[in-house]
Amino acid sequence: MKTFASLRSLASMVFRRARVEDEMDEELRAHIQNRAGDLERTGLSREDARRQARIEFGGYQKYKEQIREDSGSHFLQALVQDIRYGVRVLRKSPAFTLVAVITLALGIGANTAIFSVVDWLILRPLPIERPSQVVFLETSWKNGDVGNQFSYPDFQRIQEQTSSIFAGSTAIVLFKMDGLSVDGKSEPMWANYVAGNFFSVLGIKPEAGRLFLPSEGKFAGADPILVLGYSYWRSRFGGDPNIIGKKVAVNGHPMTVVGVAPKDFQGVAELLDTQGYMPLAIAGVTQDDPENFLADEKSDDLRVIARLKPGVTFEQAQPVLQVVAQRLPRVNENHGAMTVLVSPLGPVSLTSGPQVRPELDLVSALFLILAGAVLVLACVNIANLCLVRIAARRREVAMRAALGATRGRLIRQLLTESLMLAILGCIGGILLGITASGAFGSISLHTAIPTVLDFRFDWRVFAYALAAAVLTSVLVGITPALRVSRTDLNEVLHEGQRGSTAARQRLRSVLVGAQVAGSLMLLIVAGLFVRSLEKVHHANLGFEPTHVLDVSIDPHEAGYQEVQARQFQKTLLDRARALPGVASASLAATVPMGYQSYSDTLTIDGYQTHPGESAPRAGVNAVSPGYFETMGIPVLQGREFLDSDDQKSQSVAIVNQTFVDLYWHGRSPIGRHFSSTSDPKHPMEVVGVVANSRDTDIFTKNDAYYYEPLAQNYWAVTTLQLRAVSAPEALAPEVTSLIHSLESAMPVFDVQTLSTELDSLNGLLLFQFAAALAGSLGILGLLLALVGVYGVISYAGSQRTHEIGIRMALGAQPKQILKMIFGQGLVIVGTGVVCGLVAAGALARLVGNFLFGVAPLDPLTYISASFLLGAIALLACYVPARRAMRVDPMTVLRSE
Amino acid sequence: MTDQAQLLPGTLDLLILKSVSLGPLHGYGVLLRIEHISGGALLVEQGALYPALFRLVRQGFLKARWGASDNNRRAKFYELTKAGQKRLREEADGWNRLVVAIGSALNANPEKI
Repeated sequence: MKTFASLRSLASMVFRRARVEDEMDEELRAHIQNRAGDLERTGLSREDARRQARIEFGGYQKYKEQIREDSGSHFLQALVQDIRYGVRVLRKSPAFTLVAVITLALGIGANTAIFSVVDWLILRPLPIERPSQVVFLETSWKNGDVGNQFSYPDFQRIQEQTSSIFAGSTAIVLFKMDGLSVDGKSEPMWANYVAGNFFSVLGIKPEAGRLFLPSEGKFAGADPILVLGYSYWRSRFGGDPNIIGKKVAVNGHPMTVVGVAPKDFQGVAELLDTQGYMPLAIAGVTQDDPENFLADEKSDDLRVIARLKPGVTFEQAQPVLQVVAQRLPRVNENHGAMTVLVSPLGPVSLTSGPQVRPELDLVSALFLILAGAVLVLACVNIANLCLVRIAARRREVAMRAALGATRGRLIRQLLTESLMLAILGCIGGILLGITASGAFGSISLHTAIPTVLDFRFDWRVFAYALAAAVLTSVLVGITPALRVSRTDLNEVLHEGQRGSTAARQRLRSVLVGAQVAGSLMLLIVAGLFVRSLEKVHHANLGFEPTHVLDVSIDPHEAGYQEVQARQFQKTLLDRARALPGVASASLAATVPMGYQSYSDTLTIDGYQTHPGESAPRAGVNAVSPGYFETMGIPVLQGREFLDSDDQKSQSVAIVNQTFVDLYWHGRSPIGRHFSSTSDPKHPMEVVGVVANSRDTDIFTKNDAYYYEPLAQNYWAVTTLQLRAVSAPEALAPEVTSLIHSLESAMPVFDVQTLSTELDSLNGLLLFQFAAALAGSLGILGLLLALVGVYGVISYAGSQRTHEIGIRMALGAQPKQILKMIFGQGLVIVGTGVVCGLVAAGALARLVGNFLFGVAPLDPLTYISASFLLGAIALLACYVPARRAMRVDPMTVLRSE
Repeated sequence: MTDQAQLLPGTLDLLILKSVSLGPLHGYGVLLRIEHISGGALLVEQGALYPALFRLVRQGFLKARWGASDNNRRAKFYELTKAGQKRLREEADGWNRLVVAIGSALNANPEKI
């Protein structure tokens, strides 16, 4: 009943607003008339009676406002009013509005752009059915080693014994580069080999044709079928639907295209765009693997993905899986030192080890904090501007209060204005953010591997932008609003032009101090990242990256078999060495800090693995003679590889210094033997020791590493490396035409200098990205602080013109005035700098995780950033202080 | 004037409900009736009457209709609804209990303790 009545009154208020207003007026006026009539009858004159009646009634507008406010309609009605009023106010001062909107757009834009990257890295689930149920299996060793790879027999055992917790489990071999020939034309294709139930377990529907059936791919060599990735289908075949059913060849083996994966699904390793999928059982054929790896206990190429049964939690699944894992031969062999864990399958989890995930969280948090600081700085600037405006608008506000606006109503009006600013800023920010994240997305990763950087704006990013806008409007609007609505209107209406501004001035000073502090924090972090980048550039990598050109080739894609390919590699190398301007040349299976790096577990003569320890593991590269000369890696003991180290002679290897220190405790290794798990039948004899170099990424400089002769370990895809006498780029056309003169169909890719190659994700790219991002945020913060300091000091100066005039009339020297105004700025900036140093020091622990060769509390950075900011801020104080000094006392005093 | 008392907060609603329960009234009539039935002892701020009247209508305790007043002018008349009658009884009971309680508290003397 009550709700109904109030609803009805609300409706009537909204729809018949004008009539209700009229009736309210009529009713109230009738009251006063009645009263006046009664008073007249007591003997008062008509005039006096009317006056008396109005006085007795009290504040006519005030009561009307109270009635409006009491009735439910008030909110909507007032909102419309507030917005109309706000539009008018903002349009009246376009300069203020423009500055405020641009400032907010920069702040919000920086935040949404960074958030879009974080969203992609951490938050956005894989585009699969009910992604929260999908897990992958990780292995963890007692000594802290972790992995996620299994053999096919292990996968089968796990699959058979986990039906109580998993609705299904499947396996995938990530990324092999294959040559896909269609109508005689061969091009590289990065493909995954997957179990037949891969698509059904993940719940993926085909874009065209069909996907694999669970029954397919169980027997070696069976089901030679291919599913294409969506973007590859679009880019190479123009989205041709007739490709379905077409006979093609992968590395020369006949294959039939059966379908296309959906658009959203780029594979389970998000950075990489999977171009094709083939059944697991085909891998042995297309990869020329002599052994059938479906039966191979030793191989560990498979990653296992499973879908939890509905209602089964991670906590329930873990013990069941533990029991299953205990029965795996590998776990038994190692006396249970290895355990198997269930982990959620996230956007970035399969391809990066578990140690990377917390780092991603940290780096995301760090940059969100930095971007958040920029937004706060922007807000402080606008709040300051608003405070100044409010001072000018006090009389207007007091007038409205006198006309019956309540305090809540006034606060709401001011908040509506700041919300409108924030919404405009938010729109601008989203546009800026889309531009910026588009720029992030087009960053070259310096590789031929198909990658996706999909920083699209999904609902999470928009929600974040909106939240930032709302927070902004509150931050910007609340202080001025509370302040103004508290003022005593009587005082305001009666005082002259100058308000009593001491308290407001203090608040503004605190805000500016905070701004200086925040800006200094940003500058210091930016400085740390820039210094870190500089250190990385000059780091001793262990090899000499300048003057080297890389050219990658894949003879298999040209249809070559092993024997032909070996011959081709040998001829190419000989001819390349003879090119003018080439100092030395060599071939290698992988390049330093490239996207592919290999490692193997080893059996080492004279080295015992303790129980509970994983087998010794070392990184490996297969290289031709001349490699160490080309790369500039010093040979410390023994010899380089020779042409005589071929298939017929003893298997040999060259190890790095760490290998010797770790496994032979520094004793001379020449003549000692070790063998790899993948090829136990050919123990290698160590013939040389080379200095350590950073091969997998910038941070790992001391990992054990060894080199095998390419002649004894065949690799199809190799990189030709040329050390040039002068500029290496100049060699590129010559080398390419040399290769094509030898074989016109030979695919040539990743032609770039080694220095460029180092700008990869494993190399310098992240450092460059971090330095650029932190640097932009730092500059943005500096600009905002500059504007803030200048604005406040010059406003303070102008507010004190009157006082300055009197002081000068009483004999103060211009210098003293300068000192007074400048001194005020000095205190603000000084306090801000101290607070900023403390804030940066607090953040440094987080930053320190991502620095190279720079201490998180690097004094040089802290001091130079403080000086830079201090100098600029004081300059911003000096200009208005000089202006105050030039005040003419007579003009000021006369103006009153 | 001097022996007029300020209204206690919250009692205005009770007085309006009581006045209207004696027969439909327009706004000014409510004022006069409160003055009349309180023997002129209660001071009502005249304008404050209207926010209270609107609120009681919105809460469903009063209903309003336009009609002609004694001097044949158009006027808005207020009447008690069923809910209003109930509300009046409750408020009056509450008030009476309060008066009794305060009264007995004020009548306390040393012997009774």
